[in-house]
Amino acid sequence: MSVEIRTVGRAPDPLEPGPLILGTPDDRQLNDELLGHVYRPGRAWILLFLLAAGGTSLLLLGVTVTLVVGIGAWGNNVPVAWAFGIINFVWWIGIGHAGTLISAILLLFQQKWRTSINRFAEAMTLFAVMQAGLFPLIHVGRPWFAYWLFPYPATLGVWPNFKSPLIWDVFAVSTYFTVSLLFWYLGLIPDLAALRDTSKGLLRRRVYGVFALGWRGSARAWRHYRIAYLLLAGLATPLVLSVHTIVSFDFAVAQLPGWHTTIFPPYFVAGAVFSGFAMVLTLVIPARKLLGLERVITMRHLETMTKVLLVTGLMVAYGYMMEHFIAWYSGNPYEQFVFLNRATGPYAPVYWLMIFCNVVLPQIFWFKQARTTVAVIWVASVLINVGMWCERFIIIVTSLHRDFLPSSWAIYKPTWVDWSILLGTMGFFSFLFLLFVRYLPAVAITEVKELRHELAAHGPSAGHDAVGVPLAEEESNA
Amino acid sequence: MSHAASTARSFVLAEFAGPDALFAAARQVRAAGHTALDAHMPYPVHGADEALGLKRSRVPLIALVGGLAGVVTAYLMAWWMNAVDYRINVAGRPFNALPAFVPIMFELGVLFASLAIFVGAILLFGLPRLHHPVFEVEEFRSASVDKFWLSVETSGETGRLREELQRAGASHVAVVEGEP
Repeated sequence: MSVEIRTVGRAPDPLEPGPLILGTPDDRQLNDELLGHVYRPGRAWILLFLLAAGGTSLLLLGVTVTLVVGIGAWGNNVPVAWAFGIINFVWWIGIGHAGTLISAILLLFQQKWRTSINRFAEAMTLFAVMQAGLFPLIHVGRPWFAYWLFPYPATLGVWPNFKSPLIWDVFAVSTYFTVSLLFWYLGLIPDLAALRDTSKGLLRRRVYGVFALGWRGSARAWRHYRIAYLLLAGLATPLVLSVHTIVSFDFAVAQLPGWHTTIFPPYFVAGAVFSGFAMVLTLVIPARKLLGLERVITMRHLETMTKVLLVTGLMVAYGYMMEHFIAWYSGNPYEQFVFLNRATGPYAPVYWLMIFCNVVLPQIFWFKQARTTVAVIWVASVLINVGMWCERFIIIVTSLHRDFLPSSWAIYKPTWVDWSILLGTMGFFSFLFLLFVRYLPAVAITEVKELRHELAAHGPSAGHDAVGVPLAEEESNA
Repeated sequence: MSHAASTARSFVLAEFAGPDALFAAARQVRAAGHTALDAHMPYPVHGADEALGLKRSRVPLIALVGGLAGVVTAYLMAWWMNAVDYRINVAGRPFNALPAFVPIMFELGVLFASLAIFVGAILLFGLPRLHHPVFEVEEFRSASVDKFWLSVETSGETGRLREELQRAGASHVAVVEGEP
């Protein structure tokens, strides 16, 4: 046992969270630092970009094979007609939800710590929804007729069935993407103006200038801007809940044991937020190092997010518990069999991996040591995403592969095309994300400046949110 | 061209280090009788609306109208398509099934409201536009970074206004002419 004696700085108060902004930068300094990654990309960026481009070509390969050969190139067949296509759809769209939660719900709750990570998380939402949208599209079998999903005056004379959860999905996902894009772009406009005004080359000034739409930071515009931003947040909040609720209706409205349950909407939303926060952490931990954002994305941010993981993880655990309890309590033998089959059947390893990653693992975040050790957080966040993917696999595959009639039971195995599309979407997601951090501010600079202004106005005695803790001290804590 | 010449106005621009100095100067200039004021700030600061004498934003009304339009459109669409033009019997459920239409009514309400907010806000900003006279001043670039600018639009003499703003603590004063 060694006792650490701190001689520099004040003793950390366990009840006082760390600072949101390290040091005492002024607005110009913040501007230059937070845009640094746009002006001076590192060598790591090029390396990662090539890797992501490779992953994207894997996606192109998988999708091309699917288009040329057909859905037969995938592993799904009766009785498991839904497999990777829907697993990946639900997984990606769930990941996207944390972005909206951080940018909209935490804004309404006036959580100041959201400010440094909201832009980042919103971009994650957009790119994750793009991956998600791809799956139902190629899953329809003849993707060139995907527009049949929309109500348009067809020469066939038919209209979509508005009583079907699948058509609800079309509206929910397309609305979600559109609203996320508008929210993200509205937040970007002042930052694009800052880029326009501080970029060196004429081309850059012009391109950023066009996208900034001529923003002059006018008080007359800010007056509308603030209320528009707040209202979009207010709309995005119920929207994000509705999207995953509707995704869960795809299952819950069906009669299948293991799907037909009323707990699905809240349980899916909690799972979405859980996996989304895990993805934010997976991305933000390397990004804050590589992009030099440690001043505004501090240990306090990481620790707060691990607490969200713990809470939503417990909600997911409660969902699992209730599912199993209701299966037993209902007295329905089919329902009981499905849950027994999940834990002891051919897919039991996936089930137990899910339980480990989603229920057991997050419990480490009860301990401060785990919440403040970057390596532990990162590994846990990756494993939680694995766990959430396993959850969707278990829900979809185990309910389908052994249903009411034992003569039609089968084992589902994914093919290389399935895997290459899944890995490919990860590549394409990274590809888009890397382009984003190369050309756009990864942190909402305007909002960070506003936060700095607010914190400074309250003075250094404003408790836990005050700025002014030297950079070196926080580093020694980390 | 003659039209442009007749509407050309002068903009007196003054740079301040912080919002408080800006608001004080704005009040002073307003008291002197100028009404076409604007402040340019890197981030929104409380007190600007009051210092410049701005009214409440109309964005919430636009949002309400957009949202209601979305809800009504969705219901009418689902009702007409599924209960009138092409009836689909789904397990004997009513053709005009309001509860089953609720998800799409909600989604379309949110979609229309968001589009209305976005388009409405951009138009209320007076944007998009490729150019504005204030961009002629090179120093004005700091308005999006760390400085606070007051802009006074006038068709009259600018000499006294410049002096007044300088006395109010402006670190830089410039005059540009152009079409607002």
